[in-house]
Amino acid sequence: MLQQRLSTGIVGLDEVLHGGFTPGRAYLVRGGPGTGKTTLGLHFLTAGSANGEKVLFITLGEPEAMIRQNAESLGFDLSGIAFLDLSPTPEFFAQVETYDIFSPAEVEREPTTRKIVEQVERLKPSRVFIDAMTQFRYLAADPYQYRKQVLSFLRFLVERDTTVLFTSEGSAEAPDADLQFLSDGIIHLEYAPEGRTLCVNKFRGSDFLSGRHAMRLGERGMEVFPRLMPEVYWREFALETISSGVPELDELLHGGLERGTVTIITGPSGVGKTTLGLQFMKKAAGRGERSVVYTFEEGVETLLARCEGINIPVRAMMERGTLSVVKVEPLRYTPDEFAHLVRREVEEEGARIVMLDSIAGYRLSLRGEDLVGHLHALSKYLANMGITTLLINEVEHITGEFRATEVGISYLADNIIFLRFLEMGGELHKAIGVLKKRVSDFEKSLREFQITRYGIKVGRPLTDLRGILSGTPELVGK
Amino acid sequence: MGDKPLILAVDHNRRNLELMSQLLSQESYETVTVGSLEEFDQVLNERTGIKLALVDIAGFDRSVWERCERLRAADIPFVIISPRQSAALSQMGLEYGARGVLIKPLTVKELLGVMRSLL
Repeated sequence: MLQQRLSTGIVGLDEVLHGGFTPGRAYLVRGGPGTGKTTLGLHFLTAGSANGEKVLFITLGEPEAMIRQNAESLGFDLSGIAFLDLSPTPEFFAQVETYDIFSPAEVEREPTTRKIVEQVERLKPSRVFIDAMTQFRYLAADPYQYRKQVLSFLRFLVERDTTVLFTSEGSAEAPDADLQFLSDGIIHLEYAPEGRTLCVNKFRGSDFLSGRHAMRLGERGMEVFPRLMPEVYWREFALETISSGVPELDELLHGGLERGTVTIITGPSGVGKTTLGLQFMKKAAGRGERSVVYTFEEGVETLLARCEGINIPVRAMMERGTLSVVKVEPLRYTPDEFAHLVRREVEEEGARIVMLDSIAGYRLSLRGEDLVGHLHALSKYLANMGITTLLINEVEHITGEFRATEVGISYLADNIIFLRFLEMGGELHKAIGVLKKRVSDFEKSLREFQITRYGIKVGRPLTDLRGILSGTPELVGK
Repeated sequence: MGDKPLILAVDHNRRNLELMSQLLSQESYETVTVGSLEEFDQVLNERTGIKLALVDIAGFDRSVWERCERLRAADIPFVIISPRQSAALSQMGLEYGARGVLIKPLTVKELLGVMRSLL
């Protein structure tokens, strides 16, 4: 039986939690200052109030007015949210005579507890957000009392079918291990130099997407980008071959490229790798299929102008929605965020061909570590979704001894197409060949490759040359 | 109100006095509060029937001990409340006739226990 879930108000987080929170449970949000704990709580509450649920925000640190101000600047609608403000008032400071005869635990606990109980009994909220639970620590005589109080407080709420989200300011000085043990789930927020992350450490009674997920705190609050788990995604697709639209090229590839495969187009700078990729997209556009190019180095305008010059009508394709060219700004995205962009293209826009231009650009432009691993996951995902993936790989050497790729990514590829320069009779020529094709056989000979203003031209097999891979081929003597 | 024992609370800090009388009235004690030595004298001169005194010595000078001696003379048991753990202060308090010395912050349970044993 499928459990009923409560949306967290954040699409990505719902996905990480396989649908959302389990109703009637208490969840802990922990993280250092400025990691977005309160923002997460606001999402949680506004998602409830938008549903017509009664929701309550219990604040023990930040005053209500300030929370409202911050929330409104992020575009939250707080009209449906009830507040219980237990933060200290300015009068408290002005009161010269503060007491010392009893400990705060003896004096403040009771009124605080009474206010909470009153408010909860009156409102009967279905969602409660407590910011921050660690404040209660100061109202308890000792750690045991604290633990008991928090537990019974949570039970008091949960017995009323309330779903509780509470925050903790866990640090080395004030550990919150006790809170972690007694919650039904833990969401850990972190702010590392390479970006913000969200990680679920515990989620009673359900599976969840493990690991660190990229998170962004922006103008509209919090966005979570679940780590790409390729094996989770799968869809039926016909194992058909897509043509390039150039008969000789199709011959070379024994029909074309298959759906659900990853192709690396490799070659030195200026040899025509991007153009070759776009050729497949041009043909696909003719069938009415959508393609996406992520360009990491080249500006969109240059790319467009270049394509127009060689008879690939990119502007018309973009107008018809059969092509999207996306410039990825350096260091703007983490790999998870980028994967999220790609997923949206695939799952919502229905793109069938995706090209990353180039692999080096991907590795340079995205923040974070283990980028080859992320690229692998992304390729795997695209393959599972039946997408024809084109990865552009630039080799540094213009001529000379042949090498396929330089960063140890050949293993990603189902197909490797290479382009290279040749010197023949003092002239620079280009050749195209196939190095690997997992699904079908392919032509083992190389062919001449030209980019003209009418488009790509592929010549006859260069069977009368030898030593092509050395870059300086010779005519086979007849 | 004869059935409610009358307690004298002495404290230099108004807020402490408020909290103390709040607690004591919750526990069904009658309370008279004193915030200065002058008031202390006045109460000692005028009120009768005080069953117990709680004297927070913080904020008073040495002359508070004279009042303690008066309490002893009037046969009113009293407890000294001290702002910190100090052997010298406890010693002095006991010499002036205190029945006990409590250290701040007090826990309600302990305070009520001590009071019950002295009444």
